[in-house]
Amino acid sequence: MHDAHAGQDWRAWFAEHGARLRLVARQWTRSEADADDVLQEAFVRFWKHQRHLPGNPNALVVTSIRRSALDLLRRSDRRALREKAVGDDMDTVTWFEPEADPRLAALAESLKLLPDEQREVVVLKVWGDLTFDEIGEQLSISPNTAASRWRYAMEALRRNITARTHD
Amino acid sequence: MTDPDHDLEQALASLRPRPPGPAVTARVAAGLDAAPTRRGVVIAWSAGFAAVAAVFLAAFVFLGGVAEAEAPTYQLVHVEQSRPDVQFFRPVRLTDGSFARPVRVRWEDTTRWEDPRGDARLIHYRPNDQLTLLPLETN
Repeated sequence: MHDAHAGQDWRAWFAEHGARLRLVARQWTRSEADADDVLQEAFVRFWKHQRHLPGNPNALVVTSIRRSALDLLRRSDRRALREKAVGDDMDTVTWFEPEADPRLAALAESLKLLPDEQREVVVLKVWGDLTFDEIGEQLSISPNTAASRWRYAMEALRRNITARTHD
Repeated sequence: MTDPDHDLEQALASLRPRPPGPAVTARVAAGLDAAPTRRGVVIAWSAGFAAVAAVFLAAFVFLGGVAEAEAPTYQLVHVEQSRPDVQFFRPVRLTDGSFARPVRVRWEDTTRWEDPRGDARLIHYRPNDQLTLLPLETN
């Protein structure tokens, strides 16, 4: 990831990192539309006010995304009936670009089957580019717990891929 | 020690998340490329006024400090006493029967200091007015 402190054009930065940030946002939202809303709000805030702050820009932008997602969830909870009508499209939307490699396609499908707390650790580590320490700070858990969830997730993914590719 | 999950992590990293659609980019553009809001303008003006005020305050403090640090060091350069103006009055008889002549003497004292490093001058002017009785001997 490029240094967000540099005087970059936001369009270039967003074009390069928008996809993985959207996937991060997707972990804490109920729909693709919500993920887009969260990404837009969080990125504008990050670019306007936070990109020059010291520290890892990855962690800053992920923090901004998480904050926006939690704000949206709180607002959504006040509109519970409408949210129920919208429902959760976790199983119906593809998070990744289609993959020709069946092993990668199986991996993408298996990722969605992980428990939420394991999947968010995987997404934050692989696409958020965060360390276990930083993941722990984001999720208010210890780095050891984050690492433990990562290991469980890897085991589960390996089992799933093996099972799917042998079907 | 090799990481047993390295291959799996590499495979995950090779998955390509779907990018945000053009609508999202357009909304981000609206947030970042838009003209400054009224609130932003007010904040900018406030910040500008605050900066100007800070500059004036700093200049005041700084120049005040300079003036204090470079206060003139006066040196005495001139002392002058004017020619006295003496007035004699008619003799008067005192309570003890003796006679005296009232004399009034007026003059000015002028003292001047100057700062050799500049044009600063300090002039002290003091008028004096004394009335005395000169005893007169009578036979």
